[in-house]
This record gives sequence, structure tokens and C-alpha cells, in this order.
Amino acid sequence: MNKEYQALKQYLQAGESVAVATVIDTRGSVPREVGAKMIIHPLGAHVGTIGGGCGEAEVIRAAMDVLQTGTPAKVRVDLTEEISMDSHGVCGGIMTVFVQRWDP
Amino acid sequence: MGPLKSQTPLPSLAVLEALERAAAENVPVALVTVTDSAQSALVGNRILVWLDRDPAGALGLGELEARVVEDARAALRRRRHALLRYPDAGLELFVEVQQRPPHLIIVGAGHIAQPLCRLAKICDFRVTVIDDRTQFANPDRFPDADRIIAADIRQTVRDMPMDQDTYVVLVTRGHSLDVECLLEIIDRPLAYIGMIGSRRRISAVFSLLTREQGIPQESLDRVHAPIGLPIGAETPAEIALCIMAEIINVYRGGQAVSLSQLR
Repeated sequence: MNKEYQALKQYLQAGESVAVATVIDTRGSVPREVGAKMIIHPLGAHVGTIGGGCGEAEVIRAAMDVLQTGTPAKVRVDLTEEISMDSHGVCGGIMTVFVQRWDP
Repeated sequence: MGPLKSQTPLPSLAVLEALERAAAENVPVALVTVTDSAQSALVGNRILVWLDRDPAGALGLGELEARVVEDARAALRRRRHALLRYPDAGLELFVEVQQRPPHLIIVGAGHIAQPLCRLAKICDFRVTVIDDRTQFANPDRFPDADRIIAADIRQTVRDMPMDQDTYVVLVTRGHSLDVECLLEIIDRPLAYIGMIGSRRRISAVFSLLTREQGIPQESLDRVHAPIGLPIGAETPAEIALCIMAEIINVYRGGQAVSLSQLR
């Protein structure tokens, strides 16, 4: 079992709800592969990464809503904007991330 | 786990415990989650799917459920995650196939084995190191190896269970010992066999093996020897890196050309 699921198990055993973000689809060059996951903890004790940077920040924001409402969400992380000095995503691809709350 | 009633959600901890058990027993399993649906209440429903028994949990998809399970099993057989889409039903599911970590067996615990073990652990391989010299095969030299076996090399290799997830690197102290071990495993359905040695030495040994031992050429063609990718490696760490790069190339189906293909 991967380390994200091990961490998830520990959170659930401790009675905590967390959100799990999983890369379910990719197009073009992206920072993580399909299946990569991240546990988002309400107080910031996250585990794993789905690529870092602004794309990940976007997913963490979405995960906070998911934690609040319990409604799963699909986040499209678009890293295709034109390459410039201040561009956020320079990978060139698009990742779809599914975010779901896991309750004990 | 007993059969669950169709509307019973699968408890979170039961999912994780089942995944954990499957990992420990090396059993293929996939977690299937509804990621999109015209009926929003279905989103997030999940089941566990095995190849040879009924799924645990229910997705609530009615008559489509059996087809989804079969499609998930197909992904499980291919050992790849899959995003299943059923446009007519307005449905999308993610099949997350639990990865079974590849197993690297390093035969010989010398100066290349050490950095190779570290690199393989970083790449999430399970690593076994074999040598008959306890002063080499010990946890001080291989702190992150999953298993260290200090015993007769050839016999250990012969008795070791190996499968299509197994990668074997032959780097013992002597070339003839490498060859003895090679002959023990050459017909097994392994993911990878690599053997160290110079181009000249390898071609001499291989022609000897075909001529005098009747080893078919196609068996020898499977062997990655000289080992590794041609990156000009010189130091033990660099050689370990060129071996690990070749292993990743095989594991991921990359397009790098191996040294052995240049022979």
C-alpha cells in the first residue's frame, strides 16, 4: 500500500476527516502521472504531492471546500498558458484531479 | 470480507485494510470510484474489484454495474489505471489499480550493488541483496535493502521465487559466478535480467554458451549485457545509475537504447 494510503489510514484511525486528491487524467506534459495522490488535511498536514506550485494550490483550495461540504469535486489544472516570466504553469499540459472527502 | 448489501457504503477503513492485505499478499486489486455522473449522488461511490472474486461494495449503477466491474478487471489485468467513460449513461469512473512494487534482486553485494540498492529504493523498488560474504551482505552496507541474504549465491538464486515483476542484476565478484547464476534463471519469465561485463567478455561467454551448452540465442538475447544505458558511466555510482536507468526504461517502456542492443 502506498504511503498516501498509509497516512490516510492513520488519519481515519485518529478520527479525522481528510480529502484525497487523485490525478485521474492527463494531457500533454504534466508534473505528475495518473494515479498520483495527495492527502489534504484541514489544518495543513498534507501528505504527498500532485505536482506542487499553483496547480497544487488550486487543488488544495478546492479540497478545503470538499472537506467543508462533503461533495466530491473534479478540478481541471490547466498548465498550458503561454510561457513567460510570470506564468504559473509552464508544463504545457492539463491534469484532471478528483478530490473526495474520506471520513472515519 | 462477506458479501455487502447493495446500498451499504463500503467503510473507509475496510477499503484501506483490504488494500493493505492485497499489497501484503501481492494480490491484484483495484479501487473503482465514480468521478462523474449525471446523478450527482453517485459521485464518490466506490468498490473494490479483484480478478477472482466478487467486488466489495456497490456503485449503485444498476444494470451497468456488471459491465463496469468487467471493464475494471480488464484494467486490472493490464495493470494500468484507467478512466472509464460511459457517455450514454453520463458516467465516468476512475479505476485505480494498486501498484505492486517491482522487485530488484541484486546478486553480489559489492561496490556497484551499494549505490544500486539506494537508487532502486528511491525509485520505490523492493530490493533484495544476495552474497555469500557476510562482510559484504550486511545491513551496515545496505541499510535500506528490504532483504539481505548471506548464503550460497547460486543456490539462493535457484530457490528464490521470481515472477514477471522481478528484475535481476548479476554483479557478483566473478564473471563465472555471474554466468552460473544466469543459467539458473535464464528461462524464467522475468521482467529483466542484466549482467555486468565488458563487451568483449560478454560476446566470448555468450558464444561459448551457445556452442558448448546449447543455450539458444533467443534466450541470450533477453539478457541485458553489457548492462545499462550508454551514458559513459565510469564510477560505481555512475554505473549503478546507468543500470537503474535501464531498469526504468524497461519498467516504463521507455525508448532509450541499451548498451546490449549496440553489441
